[in-house]
Amino acid sequence: MRLAVPGLPGALTLLGTAMLLSAFAVLIIAGLLGVFKIIVRSALDYFSSKQRVQRRLWFVQARQDQVKRLFYFKARQIKYFNELSRKRLLKLNNRKHIRSLSKTIDKDLLSIKAKLPGTTYQQLQQDHARYRSRQDVEALLTLQQKISTLV
Amino acid sequence: MTIVNKIIKLFHSVKDENLKWQLANQGDQTKLKHTRVLAEKALEAELKKKSVQLEHDISLLKTKHDAELSMFKTKCKQDVKDYKQYLAALDQLKSSIQASYTHLPEAVAFTIHHHAKYLLNKMWEEEDFEQKMQHEMQLIRFMTAVHEDARLHLEGETTENLPERTLNLIQRQ
Repeated sequence: MRLAVPGLPGALTLLGTAMLLSAFAVLIIAGLLGVFKIIVRSALDYFSSKQRVQRRLWFVQARQDQVKRLFYFKARQIKYFNELSRKRLLKLNNRKHIRSLSKTIDKDLLSIKAKLPGTTYQQLQQDHARYRSRQDVEALLTLQQKISTLV
Repeated sequence: MTIVNKIIKLFHSVKDENLKWQLANQGDQTKLKHTRVLAEKALEAELKKKSVQLEHDISLLKTKHDAELSMFKTKCKQDVKDYKQYLAALDQLKSSIQASYTHLPEAVAFTIHHHAKYLLNKMWEEEDFEQKMQHEMQLIRFMTAVHEDARLHLEGETTENLPERTLNLIQRQ
């Protein structure tokens, strides 16, 4: 069956479109308002005194942790430098005694120079210089033994 | 139009109900609001108190740490000084044994001194207190043996050319 009113379908379509669009507009406006409300509320909450105090507490707690860590690392640092200076003392002492040992080796070598072939003497001297520059205690001691058995 | 009238009536009745309910529960509602605010205030005050307390603790902790660190520093300095003195004592040991055994080979003197230093370092680097004490006893025993050897030889009570007791100790370890 057909309605015989001219222009009615057009008017109804227009009305439907207008209603649809206005419904959309209302929906969008309501959504925007809701978002705005949420933003304002959370901003207010963020700056509320309770939240501020809470943040302050967290900050202080973090600082306490930091202070504790700092103490630990400072102690470590002191220990490290202390160990370093002790090692330096030990090194100096080692060097001093190795020097006196190598002086003796030099003297022993010189005293048996005449009895040794030239190449052996040179070899021994080279070994000696090498061990001394390496601060190699064991090698120096064995070299000394070797020299004393050569005589 | 009756439908529209009915809808309006329904709307009004809902509003009426709402109003009645609000009237009936107004006291409770205000009470609830009040308690909520109070609780929030109390929590806030507590947090504030806590953070103030914590700040106080931090300042205490800082002074304590400073004191401990400075103490630790002086202790470390003293440690190094002690170590230096120990090294000097070991040097002294070496020269004393060289003075009494005039023909002692430098290598032997060096070995003795080196061993003493090895014992000293072992003692120094040990973390465990008991172990440290043991190492210290070892070192002291060793030093005593060296001094004893030197003394005996100097007084002419032994005819050995080498500090045998000391060398024995070295070999045993």
